[in-house]
Amino acid sequence: MPLTCLGIEGTAHSFGAGVVSDQGKVLSNVWDMLSPQEGGIHPREASRHHSDKGPDIIAKALTEAGIGPHDITLIAFSRGPGLGPCLRATATMARSLALKLEVPLVGVNHCVAHIEIGCLESGFKDPVTVYVSGGNTQVIAFAGNRFRTFGETLDIAIGNMLDVFGRTMGMRFPAGPAIEQEAMKGHRYYSLPYSVKGMDVSYSGMLTAARRLQTEHIPLPDLCFSIQETAFGMLAEVAERAIAHTKKGEVLLTGGVARNRRLGEILAGVAARHNARFHTVTPPLAGDQGAMIAWTGILQYTAGDRLSVAESYVLPKWRTDEQDITWRNLS
Amino acid sequence: MRLEKWAMGAESTIFKTEQWGYPIVLKWRPQKPYLLKDIDELLKKTRTNRECKMLTHARALGVSTPTVHWTDLENYTIAMDFIEGRQLKQLASTLPESRLREICFEFGQSVARMHRGNVVHGDPTTSNVLIDTKSRLWMVDFGLAEWNATTEMKGVDLHLIRRALETTHWDQQEVMLTATLEGYVNLLGSEAEPALSRMDVIRERGRYH
Repeated sequence: MPLTCLGIEGTAHSFGAGVVSDQGKVLSNVWDMLSPQEGGIHPREASRHHSDKGPDIIAKALTEAGIGPHDITLIAFSRGPGLGPCLRATATMARSLALKLEVPLVGVNHCVAHIEIGCLESGFKDPVTVYVSGGNTQVIAFAGNRFRTFGETLDIAIGNMLDVFGRTMGMRFPAGPAIEQEAMKGHRYYSLPYSVKGMDVSYSGMLTAARRLQTEHIPLPDLCFSIQETAFGMLAEVAERAIAHTKKGEVLLTGGVARNRRLGEILAGVAARHNARFHTVTPPLAGDQGAMIAWTGILQYTAGDRLSVAESYVLPKWRTDEQDITWRNLS
Repeated sequence: MRLEKWAMGAESTIFKTEQWGYPIVLKWRPQKPYLLKDIDELLKKTRTNRECKMLTHARALGVSTPTVHWTDLENYTIAMDFIEGRQLKQLASTLPESRLREICFEFGQSVARMHRGNVVHGDPTTSNVLIDTKSRLWMVDFGLAEWNATTEMKGVDLHLIRRALETTHWDQQEVMLTATLEGYVNLLGSEAEPALSRMDVIRERGRYH
């Protein structure tokens, strides 16, 4: 029987619902992001956002896909990692729908979903993945039945660094796009702490330094330019170390910060130096959305994965490398 | 002079050649057009400089490293001894467990020798450990090494070792990690404790554990 999966994503600030077929066709992908007037994301406010907007977003995803509730044959939800209140609100909706529609449920790892949707879009089989978002900065590759984190941030995520800096400058959340715009007008480079440790990076030092420079009345475009070049340069280096170490021939850029064009340009250069193919996920599939959850749900279900409602508790600290990737046959 | 492209590293290209009849390698850090020029030049310069000094400094601390013949800072190139052997990364799965333990024990001791001299390697993966044809262990690639290492920096070094074993040697990681840390403690004794506990703290610090 052909599968039509409804994927529900709600690990942090965004709630999304997407419908994907087992042929890998994205039939719909609807989401809404909490963007407070000021400040950052409060977990409780975000979970309330999901509870309030969730049902309408799910309904809209079905309408856009041109299907009714009873055409759904599988429900997948983001089981972790993420903010506890958000995960629980999302899981509650997924469980209710699975029980009501009497269809199976699968729990998806959010980070793994970002990789799998990128692989679906690019046709990549075994990439080195650079996964960058508000909450994550990881360099991941498949080895021994798991997605293994070869490198990651030792403190804050790259998107978090951009958001916190942007907030200092009075930019609204998320600040990445505004910083990218400013950076295009900048040209003078101010040196910032460049912190690479093996395949890991650290962004807290450069954040502190950037905020200090800001008090010295350095033009905002130059400051944004310097932040981007430094932060992305560090990512390029750890990605390059992972490519040289694993000798893989594909490089995938995924996650919300993948929308940044300068970052894509830099990583394309890295891939070219190592004769690797390169793909950046397209903007609709870059951030947190339901299609990636639906697609990964289909992969898991097809490989025999099932999750009973009774055991469907959320996993806020679920690491990328804790899940056996049963649907991939590479070694 | 015959130049043979020997290996492609993350930040360098390694050529094999000869000098006075002996095989040597040239480690060249090429320009990276995708990086901002200011950053690229600063990195190439500081790392070439640092690696050259650190290869010698680490040897003074009792760690086997290739001898530096000359350095060309204008062209970001270091000429050093060619080590006839293989990376531990490639060897690990081919070795009997007892031999693997011995090598890892020795690897842990080498790292401890650096740490005792307040030096960290900065990228202690199994790609950067060479075993030569006489079974001798060498440490290479000191571009990220640092002086005046604090407990935090040593803890990061150990964290990176554990990570490298988890990702690259997942099916042998327990044997390898245990032996490496045994070698580390064997050399440092109770001095090993602060860095070892910091390794665990650092692991928990990441965003999602």
